[in-house]
Amino acid sequence: MSVPFAAYRSAVRAEWLDYNGHMNDSSYGIVMSEANELLFVELGLSADYRASTGASLYTVESHIRYLAECSLDHTLNATTMVVAAGHKKVHLYTELFRDDHRLAATGEFLYVHVDAALGSSVPMPSEQQARVQDLASSHAGLPRPGHLGLGVGSSRQRSGSV
Amino acid sequence: MGDRVVTPYEGSGHHSWDDAAAIEAPLRLHHTSVSPAWVDYNGHMSESCYLLVFGDNADAFFRFIGIDEDYRAAGHSLYTVETHLHHRREVAEGEPLAVSLQLLDHDHKRVHIFHEMRHGESGVLLATAEQMLVHVDIQAGRSADLPTLLAERLDAIQHAHAALPRPDVVGRPMGIERH
Repeated sequence: MSVPFAAYRSAVRAEWLDYNGHMNDSSYGIVMSEANELLFVELGLSADYRASTGASLYTVESHIRYLAECSLDHTLNATTMVVAAGHKKVHLYTELFRDDHRLAATGEFLYVHVDAALGSSVPMPSEQQARVQDLASSHAGLPRPGHLGLGVGSSRQRSGSV
Repeated sequence: MGDRVVTPYEGSGHHSWDDAAAIEAPLRLHHTSVSPAWVDYNGHMSESCYLLVFGDNADAFFRFIGIDEDYRAAGHSLYTVETHLHHRREVAEGEPLAVSLQLLDHDHKRVHIFHEMRHGESGVLLATAEQMLVHVDIQAGRSADLPTLLAERLDAIQHAHAALPRPDVVGRPMGIERH
């Protein structure tokens, strides 16, 4: 049975809150990046990889949907699945849950593999490509949420952009 | 980062609206520079801090139309429901940032905006953010119609921004294109 990657767990930190005691918009991005970084460790594409090769995954796009507020009362869990992958790109989908099982946010992230010295995108090494493709295959059986791959506001079935 | 997230406009109240004043298209309400607290191991602004800067630009916009601490204390606010970022270029510590805001659309309770972050001197595009905001009744925890005053201000901004081109990334889904 295929399951998403689900290693991340963290209590909400005071530094993530804003004036109203709830998590700031930007903090949802930080939390989901931390969760996805754990997946990159598994795939051999983490900070250690960057330190030894000078190459790493850069975020080129992120699309966050905010669904519930989070405060110091909450502990957060995240699941991540590989939506698609190419030789130098990885598309991930992340769900962030509060410990009361409420879905707090979803995120889609597009990463590109960049060699910092060259200043351009380059294919991932074959070993990393194989690991990413294996995980993409194992996640292929997971249900795809209806909002995946939609632009902002497009779930609303209305004319115009709002 | 300090104890919590603080925006540069906290406590500064709202802009005093003048019906007769020309409205910039796009709005240019937020200028800053890359803080040492925002940079990563290589001296560039870390990816998560782009969203922080766009949040500060949104706060400047809220204050421009009249949403400040007093407005929120009276029970309503604009909440972000979606954000779609495109990262274009890296930017180093200390570099100046100029952030613009275009009102794409709005209705009785939703506001659709587009931010561009450019280098403050060269004008190079660093990142964009498309956001959908919804006006909410904080206590009830649900969406609520914008008050007439704010709706009229948004109408005026919409009118001023009507001639701006619609950015090509607006509404575009994310994906890996195959060649």
